[in-house]
Amino acid sequence: MKKLYGVIVALLVAAMLIPACAPKAPDCTKADVFCVGMVTDVGKIDDKSFNQSTWEGVKLAESELGAHVQYIETTDAKDYAKNIATFADAGYDVIVTVGFALGEATYAAAATYPKVYFVGVDQFQAWQYDDDATNDRANVAGLVFPEDQAGFLVGALAAQMTKTGKLGGVFGTDVVPPVWRFGEGYRAGALYIDPNIEMFIVYHSDVGFDKTFTDPEWGAATANSMIDKGADVIFGGGGKTGNGAVIAAAQRGVYAIGVDTDQYYTLPEAAPRLLSSALKLLTPGTFDLIKLAKDGAFPSGNYLGKGGYAPYHDLEKEVPAEVKAKMEEINTALLDGSLQTGVSPVKP
Amino acid sequence: MDWRRFGFIALIIAILFSVVVLIGKAQISPLIIITSMMATTIAVATPLTLGALSGLYCERAGVVNIGIEGMMLAAAFFGWLAAIYMNTIFLFAPMPSLIVGVIAAILTGGLFALLHAALSVTFKVDQIIGGTVINILAVGITGFLNRQLFFEKGSIFGGNVPHAPGVLPRIDIPILADIPVIGRIFDQQPITWAAILLVFVTHIVLFYTRWGLRTRAVGEHPRAADTVGINVFYMRYANVIIGGMMAGLGGAYFTLESVPSFEPLMTNGRGFIALAAMIFGNWTPFGAWAAALVFGAAQALQINMQFFREAIPPQLAILQISYVVGLTPYILTMLILTGIIGKNIPPAADGQPYEK
Repeated sequence: MKKLYGVIVALLVAAMLIPACAPKAPDCTKADVFCVGMVTDVGKIDDKSFNQSTWEGVKLAESELGAHVQYIETTDAKDYAKNIATFADAGYDVIVTVGFALGEATYAAAATYPKVYFVGVDQFQAWQYDDDATNDRANVAGLVFPEDQAGFLVGALAAQMTKTGKLGGVFGTDVVPPVWRFGEGYRAGALYIDPNIEMFIVYHSDVGFDKTFTDPEWGAATANSMIDKGADVIFGGGGKTGNGAVIAAAQRGVYAIGVDTDQYYTLPEAAPRLLSSALKLLTPGTFDLIKLAKDGAFPSGNYLGKGGYAPYHDLEKEVPAEVKAKMEEINTALLDGSLQTGVSPVKP
Repeated sequence: MDWRRFGFIALIIAILFSVVVLIGKAQISPLIIITSMMATTIAVATPLTLGALSGLYCERAGVVNIGIEGMMLAAAFFGWLAAIYMNTIFLFAPMPSLIVGVIAAILTGGLFALLHAALSVTFKVDQIIGGTVINILAVGITGFLNRQLFFEKGSIFGGNVPHAPGVLPRIDIPILADIPVIGRIFDQQPITWAAILLVFVTHIVLFYTRWGLRTRAVGEHPRAADTVGINVFYMRYANVIIGGMMAGLGGAYFTLESVPSFEPLMTNGRGFIALAAMIFGNWTPFGAWAAALVFGAAQALQINMQFFREAIPPQLAILQISYVVGLTPYILTMLILTGIIGKNIPPAADGQPYEK
């Protein structure tokens, strides 16, 4: 028995030594140490889409600006405020919160911590457009994207590539405005090319908020059901739920369209049939805002990032030259404003 | 046979299908709708069927197993992991990798079930707590390893997206699958076929073999079984492990048949719905399968309702809210549990540890 106690004591002492060996984290409360923290939505940081691309923007700040970076993954929506406060209390200079759902928590934290800059990815800042100055927050910037334009582009592409005249779209919940804009932009883009086209658009709205973006099996089953009904292009938009649809479409041999980032690189299973992806340029948008914060030129209010569509990659040869030309034409028209998608910013 | 129950189940499925046909027939021919819905129903019912069979083996032997969810999640992860290892590290071709993955998933389910059996049979831990332990353990282990192996820098796969060997190919039943349009129903993946086969196998094993008789005896009256020389502990261990292997195969459905990727928590409560299906089916294999198909049909309805959202007539506007449609199986479960279609009779010694 004495021996056992000896072993336990030795182990405990050894355990105490472990933290001492770990590299020391810089002290973010010091003025000359620039720290950037990121809080994810309930989706994971390795989601191959949204959180991951934003995190890459934060990591760019590590390599380019010498920032100390760290992230916290939210496991429960109740913890948003707590996770943000963890960074703020530790003296972080910039806190990036990812996703529409963190909007309110971010806005509230901005009042509590006026010296910290907050970057809210996908968080539309409504206060910028009202007359009440008391609710303005100079230290918050919402990084928003023209999802309707990105959706419009891939919708137009899908409508030009379909042979059956039927298109499918599998999305996360339409309660989240960016998801809604992707879905409706897709619809608008397809109808712009062919007013008689048939669209199957499904949002995964019937489950808890924590599941709507993390249900690939449902996404795959939905995509398969659409393909059974004749759809030959599937656009998957909504975290892992959308990824499931994209992979299922690729496996059935129809065209698949990814979302947020160029999913050719993040979903190798779908790469051979991936026609394009509706892009939100998250990484440069996040990095730009962090850089502006460091330079003292932080733009409060809404900061419009860029949208677009990804290259055709393996399907380069299957896309006819006139389709490519038409896509360029639409992209230019959307960018200069001569073509409007007609999609309302939120679900009416 | 409990014909009243099967009649009720068939009626529900028919209603769910006809709602979609009525609304969607203006856009797509009814035959295509029914075919597509049936194909979806059968596929999404697979993990529920296997989960329900898993619960059936355990509970028929007198062990409540609410850890099916955890067993499926763990099996989904380890089966997928084994397939990726075989494919990327040992350079197996995709098909052998997938087969190794399925075997690994089944073994994982069996291993977790062994833990459950040890807790509930040998140590006589409250079986609900034992099952909860398994659910929590599975979430923790899979989430942690998923992160360590695939995402963190310096991990085996170097933070890259692992290249999974794809999913199990479809197997079509000859002749039947060649029928135009409705042939799609007979074009399913192997685990789906295995699940259907196992329903029949389980029925025969439970009701027409000595093993099944002993299993039921142990679940109904372990003292009497012991008196006539049946080893209660052995029967319970064996059946719980067989049940765990069923859950393991159900887990393989997620990562080796449905999508070639693993996501934390991807079973999304289907292990619990499977338990509901088992109760819904009154602890019989065919009943459980029929109930799993009801849940599958409800999911197919909910998917299809959204296709035809614009075509929903105004007096049925409530169906446009997909939350309402998604609730159908849960409302049905509660209805069934009230006993309106016949009494639900669980095995008499279900959940009671046996003291020699």
